[in-house]
Amino acid sequence: MTRRTRNWLLLAPAGTWFLVMLIIPLTVVFIFSFGERAPAGGVVPAFTFEQYANLPARWAAFKNTMTLAPIGTLSALLIAYPLAYYLAVKSSPKWKTILLVLVIVPFWTSILIRSYAWIFLLGGRGIPALLELVGIEGVRLINTPFAVLVGIIYGYLPLMVFPIYVSLDKLDKRLLEASSDLGAKPWRTFLQITLPLSIPGIATGCMLVFILLMGEYLIPALLGGGKVFFVGNALVDLFLQSRNWAYGSAVAVTLVVVMLITVTVYMRLINRLGASREDVSIM
Amino acid sequence: MGACTPADSKTIAELRGVTKRFGDVLAASDLNLSIREGEFLSFLGPSGCGKTTALRMLAGFEAPTEGDVLLDGDVVNDLEAHHRPVNMVFQQYALFPHMTVAQNIGYGLRQRRPRLPKEQIADKVSKTLEVVQLGGFEDRKIWEMSGGQQQRVALARAIINEPKLLLLDEPMAALDRKLRKEMQIELQDLQRQLGITFVLVTHDQEEALSMSDRICIMRDGRIVQVGSPQELYDRPNSRYVADFVGTSNFFDGKVADQSGELTTVCLNNGLHVRGTPVGELISSGEVTISVRPEQMTLHRQGDGLAVEVRNRIFLGEHTEYLVNHEALGDFLVLSPRQSELTEGAFGVGDKAIVSWEDSAALVLDRN
Ligand SMILES: Nc1ncnc2c1ncn2[C@@H]1O[C@H](COP(=O)(O)OP(=O)(O)O)[C@@H](O)[C@H]1O
Ligand SMILES: [Mg+2]
Repeated sequence: MTRRTRNWLLLAPAGTWFLVMLIIPLTVVFIFSFGERAPAGGVVPAFTFEQYANLPARWAAFKNTMTLAPIGTLSALLIAYPLAYYLAVKSSPKWKTILLVLVIVPFWTSILIRSYAWIFLLGGRGIPALLELVGIEGVRLINTPFAVLVGIIYGYLPLMVFPIYVSLDKLDKRLLEASSDLGAKPWRTFLQITLPLSIPGIATGCMLVFILLMGEYLIPALLGGGKVFFVGNALVDLFLQSRNWAYGSAVAVTLVVVMLITVTVYMRLINRLGASREDVSIM
Repeated sequence: MGACTPADSKTIAELRGVTKRFGDVLAASDLNLSIREGEFLSFLGPSGCGKTTALRMLAGFEAPTEGDVLLDGDVVNDLEAHHRPVNMVFQQYALFPHMTVAQNIGYGLRQRRPRLPKEQIADKVSKTLEVVQLGGFEDRKIWEMSGGQQQRVALARAIINEPKLLLLDEPMAALDRKLRKEMQIELQDLQRQLGITFVLVTHDQEEALSMSDRICIMRDGRIVQVGSPQELYDRPNSRYVADFVGTSNFFDGKVADQSGELTTVCLNNGLHVRGTPVGELISSGEVTISVRPEQMTLHRQGDGLAVEVRNRIFLGEHTEYLVNHEALGDFLVLSPRQSELTEGAFGVGDKAIVSWEDSAALVLDRN
């Protein structure tokens, strides 16, 4: 077997998967997006920009996605970093394993069940009831952007923690000692050594969480109660409820394009940051 | 070498009864040591004997469990590393991978408050690079540098801060033999040129002997003996030191008579040998006689131990004989070329007499 055929064989399963599950559906959606709605639902082939002209009708979904996804990503980063730092740098080897398992534990149950728990916690008989006990009345949490944000951060935190943990864990601790030895106070050591060397982990975590958030629909559906909805919810609605496939396709194509643009800009930024330090560039 | 570090020069750092425990592990035990300003001091001992621990307490990475660490006369036990006028060259260099050579070297200066002007830092970095013979390498990435070059960068990164103490933890362990020899000479030159006090950790006796003004020999977390290379070689205070510093022949025995200036030892074969006592002898009288191979002479006849030559290695200036004594076993004799020329060489299987001066035989603690 030549090296060439071997390489092709290695790539074949993933390549086939990629073609069947991604390229073909995307092409279909792309073609549908220029079609028209059939009277009984589904799509009539055509070439019209009518669906795209209608996009502003779903502006709220795009706005919610494009605000809550970045805010959710950033919040998850701010919460995950200290946790990952503690796990990788400060905790004793014994505790490290226990804590890492605790970070994964939520994954053992479905996000659906965990979100229901949040419905209760954020609902009228949960946290607001507790607040009333201490005299703070009239707080509404469930079905607000805040509730969705809480759900998002909770659900995606482990995905942010792990890449950062890995980059901090493989950081040579003697570099921190060297920095201190050269007169840097702990805070300056963090800024000049720890943080720059964990950028690959931060970049990976943010990318992972952000991309997944852009397509999120379950958490807004459960915790946003139809008031706070993402593009994902609009798609579910258009494809499954109103069966307006053509319009749904246009929304989907737009989401993909927005995602591609955001990710490209993000990559550029990260790589520019890493240009002077090859070892931290991610691509 | 002694000339540049007068014995009466001031103490720059001191360990006073310093003990360090890691849980149950006793890494350093009751260390007492004065480090003199401007000297080149080495900690020498096998792996795991506590050398790095001692160094790390001087650097401020570890606090002693008991006792005091003093810098410039002040107790600094709990003073953190970033407040100490001490710099360290790490075992694997620990260079910052995301910074250029110049950024690495200028790191210490950039931490100074009030801030130093950028030009002044750049200028000093270039000068320091010249000192370690890496002029013009400012903008190189760390991973573009060879092992030897990385070591120079690590050295430059430390000395640019003009520390009171420069600590070096096995800095040459990762270099190949030839490069190590070169670096040893360069380090010595550098130390004389800068006048900074160097404290080196090594397990390589040759390295310690060739570079240091004084050597501190460690064993199982304790300091066994401190002295100049010559002192340690000529007057080791225990078999351990005699064995670690250079090569020696050891004959076990018991003290028979301790009344005079010389001690008489009854060797295990019943032979009585006189020697000079060094250090404290344990009360049981279980001792060992240590005689360096070059202090022994081989004769055709006369008084001494009757031996048979087992092996002969011609080394140019010297010839090394492995000889065998019926009761005492094998040991080494080093004959200068000159005596071979006058007395004639011995061949394998020849009978010979080995003798030495009483003063060359040291009576040592057997441990
Ligand atoms: N951080 C630590 N935790 C536990 N044991 C340690 C630690 N550092 C050193 N030791 C132990 O202390 C002893 C001395 O170690 P070290 O000072 O590194 O020796 P050396 O540098 O002479 O090889 C060893 O037994 C080592 O295992
Ligand atoms: Mg060591």
